[in-house]
Amino acid sequence: MDREARPGRHNAEFSGKTVEEALESAVEALGIPVSELQYQVMRDSTRSFLGFMRTGEVTIRVSWEDGPPASVEVEPEDREEEELSVEDELPQDQAGPEASDVRPSSRGDEDEDEGEDEETVASDGNPPELEAEALDVLTTLLDKMGALAAVEVVDRGGRLDEDSGEVSPLILNVVGDDLGSLIGRRGETLRSLQFMARLIVSRRLGVWPNLVVDIENYKSRREESLRALALRIADQVRASHEPMTLEPMPAHERRIVHLTLRDYPDVYTESTGKEERRKVQIIPR
Amino acid sequence: MRELVEYMAKELVDSPDEVRVQQVRGNQAVIFKLYVAQDDKGWVIGRKGRVANAMRALLQVAGTIQGRRRVVLDIV
Repeated sequence: MDREARPGRHNAEFSGKTVEEALESAVEALGIPVSELQYQVMRDSTRSFLGFMRTGEVTIRVSWEDGPPASVEVEPEDREEEELSVEDELPQDQAGPEASDVRPSSRGDEDEDEGEDEETVASDGNPPELEAEALDVLTTLLDKMGALAAVEVVDRGGRLDEDSGEVSPLILNVVGDDLGSLIGRRGETLRSLQFMARLIVSRRLGVWPNLVVDIENYKSRREESLRALALRIADQVRASHEPMTLEPMPAHERRIVHLTLRDYPDVYTESTGKEERRKVQIIPR
Repeated sequence: MRELVEYMAKELVDSPDEVRVQQVRGNQAVIFKLYVAQDDKGWVIGRKGRVANAMRALLQVAGTIQGRRRVVLDIV
């Protein structure tokens, strides 16, 4: 590869009933395939080897590196944030919705040895050229599509969250008239636009960009209504003690539901189903 | 629309000079044939065809904006 990349180490903690579940939520939240994550079991209240027993909670510390793509074929999907579900990341013969199908990674042992070093490495933030390149790519795409639209910078990003170790993304919003077709059904076309913009910027910068593309604030509006929906359904589940299942959603929307209810009393959330049909279940404890 | 295909392809591949886009007029649809260097095919197709599908989705919207009924992208 002829690209320059300044790899940055990042850390975050995830919990689940098993190591596999914790890994699954890490993959879902970070949008990084399990094969590129390294992890260390922090707290294992199940006290069972590798946490296969479905009791208590396991916390893992996950670390990953932002660097150049490993190969042409893998990069486009593997490097995209938010839009992945776990089964996309598994080899075909192992793909499946069950947590037990998620391998605890064959690299597990060596990763635990490296764990302590990784915690001390700080994140680099976003590359300085990101904003200019992203604006150029997005406006050029829109122009060549014939869309009458302008791009505004909503958030320049680059702030490091001390707790999660995550750097905030650059957020661009497309404004214009009649952009419904550009958003598409359930935001599908918007996802294609964001993916293409990220992919082209990644080819220019040599790193996968920390970039969010929105249109007419569709995502932030959708996020608000998803939060309200999640809380409303959680209330019902809490009252009825019956699990409820939301309609199928893309990974970043499922993530919003999981995060909204992370500290909600008496319920927990789980993703079930495959690919297009994957949906969040809200379950009483 | 042709410019859109050309732009995306040239940005993605390692050998932009070898990108060619041919426009074919069908009865119902506008068809674009995209030629890239053999080694660059992975960049414009992607895993599970994800890059090709994103290009098609954006091309479809461009078609709608420009009043075309259907746009087809063939990667040759």
